[in-house]
Amino acid sequence: MNRPSLLAIAILAAIALPLGLTDFWTFIAIEVLVFALYAVSFNLLLGYGGMLSFGHAAFFGVGGYTVAILVKHGGLPLAVAFPAALAMSAITAAIIGFFSVRRIGIYFAMLTFAFQMLLYTVALKATGLTGGDDGITGLKAAGALSKPIYYYWFALIIVIVALALMHRIVHSPFGMTLQALRGNPRRVEYVGINVRTHQLATFVLAGTIAGLAGAIFAISSGNVFPGWLNWTASATPIVMAVLGGFRTFIGPMVGAAVYVMLEVVISGHTEYWPLIMGVIIVVLVLMMPEGIMGMTRRIRDGKR
Amino acid sequence: MANADALFHVDGLSKQFGGVQALANVTMSVAPGELRAVIGPNGAGKSTFFNTITGLFPPTSGNVFFQGERITGQPPHALARIGIGRTFQITSIFRELTVRENLQVALTGRERRSWSIWPKARTMNMPRVRELLALVGLTDTGTRIAGTLSHGDQKRLELAIALAGQPRLLLLDEPTAGMAAQERLASIHLVGSLARELGLTVIFTEHDMAVVFAVATVITVLHQGAVLAEGIPAAVRAMPAVQQVYLGEAVAPVE
Ligand SMILES: Nc1ncnc2c1ncn2[C@@H]1O[C@H](COP(=O)(O)OP(=O)(O)OP(=O)(O)O)[C@@H](O)[C@H]1O
Ligand SMILES: [Mg+2]
Repeated sequence: MNRPSLLAIAILAAIALPLGLTDFWTFIAIEVLVFALYAVSFNLLLGYGGMLSFGHAAFFGVGGYTVAILVKHGGLPLAVAFPAALAMSAITAAIIGFFSVRRIGIYFAMLTFAFQMLLYTVALKATGLTGGDDGITGLKAAGALSKPIYYYWFALIIVIVALALMHRIVHSPFGMTLQALRGNPRRVEYVGINVRTHQLATFVLAGTIAGLAGAIFAISSGNVFPGWLNWTASATPIVMAVLGGFRTFIGPMVGAAVYVMLEVVISGHTEYWPLIMGVIIVVLVLMMPEGIMGMTRRIRDGKR
Repeated sequence: MANADALFHVDGLSKQFGGVQALANVTMSVAPGELRAVIGPNGAGKSTFFNTITGLFPPTSGNVFFQGERITGQPPHALARIGIGRTFQITSIFRELTVRENLQVALTGRERRSWSIWPKARTMNMPRVRELLALVGLTDTGTRIAGTLSHGDQKRLELAIALAGQPRLLLLDEPTAGMAAQERLASIHLVGSLARELGLTVIFTEHDMAVVFAVATVITVLHQGAVLAEGIPAAVRAMPAVQQVYLGEAVAPVE
């Protein structure tokens, strides 16, 4: 089957999916969408730009908190809160990126990590705005979107548009430049391209999309917590991308789906679920060093 | 500026790394169309000279001029845009990308299209890519992963990347290093004929004297960061000081 028809089938299946699901599973499906988007945005940095960020949760958190604060304290509709979340996460990413992208490797990772912990502290301490430890709870969309199935479709449209945009970008001249500078930034400079501005633009794009994911999730889960900004939250997209395969566009989406499903299934059975998940993920990554998509690609090419 | 006709001029350039004086007050003028060889023993400062004038790091003191403009300390991407291209002593290509993509990235830089998110990059500039591949003798390698090419072919690819930028001044740091003797001469003759064909000015460093004397129109000898001698090949070869520090006592006559 060719790619366009596979894509059409996947989209139709995604649209039809919640018709056969309970509300509980519809929320899980939304979570998969959110984390698929989050993981792909992260992979713009890791897989395409070769920048390992340890602070990507900062943007997810800023997006989520922006929506939560505007909806809860401001009583504003999503039509205002979502664009505001995009703007806030973009501005945050521009500031953090300005200081971080000039550093390479572990220094970049440490800086992004430090900025994220800074925001975590703000979320904990600015209790008047953020609710401190308790976070902000009881979030709800008004009107039709308060029904899970409608909110799912709403999220699906946003996620598809954002994924299409990122797919476009990674295959464009900009995206090719990004993949070139991943391996050899100096050579990119010497063909007349300013590496830093391209890295910064990628960082801002990735942060903005992560903020969008956080915004969607704030409403579907009904809460935001400071834990969203904790360092463990930044490990999540790394694990998803590596698990699914960070050398492919859809790998991180697959990784996100597997991760969320594993979490749901295992946490329903035992309180030791993080331990079991950790073991399963370690085994999967050891078995498939190029991730799930790297593995399936190899099997497909081998059969030909 | 000392020399009004020079395409490229360096004035009192020095570079210090901690206690090491890698470049010591180097002054040099290169006229349009020249094929200038910069030679000298290991550690003489040849690569440092290239790195300083192409903005990899700023000089400790001194100035660099290109087409009459002062370009000291400008970043590499700015220099590439005004027509200075280079290759590296340790071959610098996009190893994970295909040969074709290597050149497409270079052409994207040349055309200032690295910001466009349209069209699909994969099909861009194909006629020009084929031309460049033919120019350096890499026809039919377009879909190979660049890192899998032989060492010599990787060097040729890097040359094509530099040529894609349509430079006026081309800086080649040891363009034949690591090649077999026969391949070396063929490579430098390729550089010579491309330079004439495209009207390029070339500055190159090289250890193999046969290669140097095959194409160089002017030779500058660096020794411990300073210019020891400069002149046409026959004159430089005859200088006792040069023979002593660099060429050794017995200089084999080159045809
Ligand atoms: N980035 C750097 N940091 C510190 N010292 C350096 C650096 N680059 C070069 N040097 C020193 O500067 C001096 C000149 O080195 P350079 O690489 O320019 O010599 P070269 O003439 O290119 O030698 P070769 O023929 O071996 O390539 C050497 O002593 C070297 O150790
Ligand atoms: Mg050198």
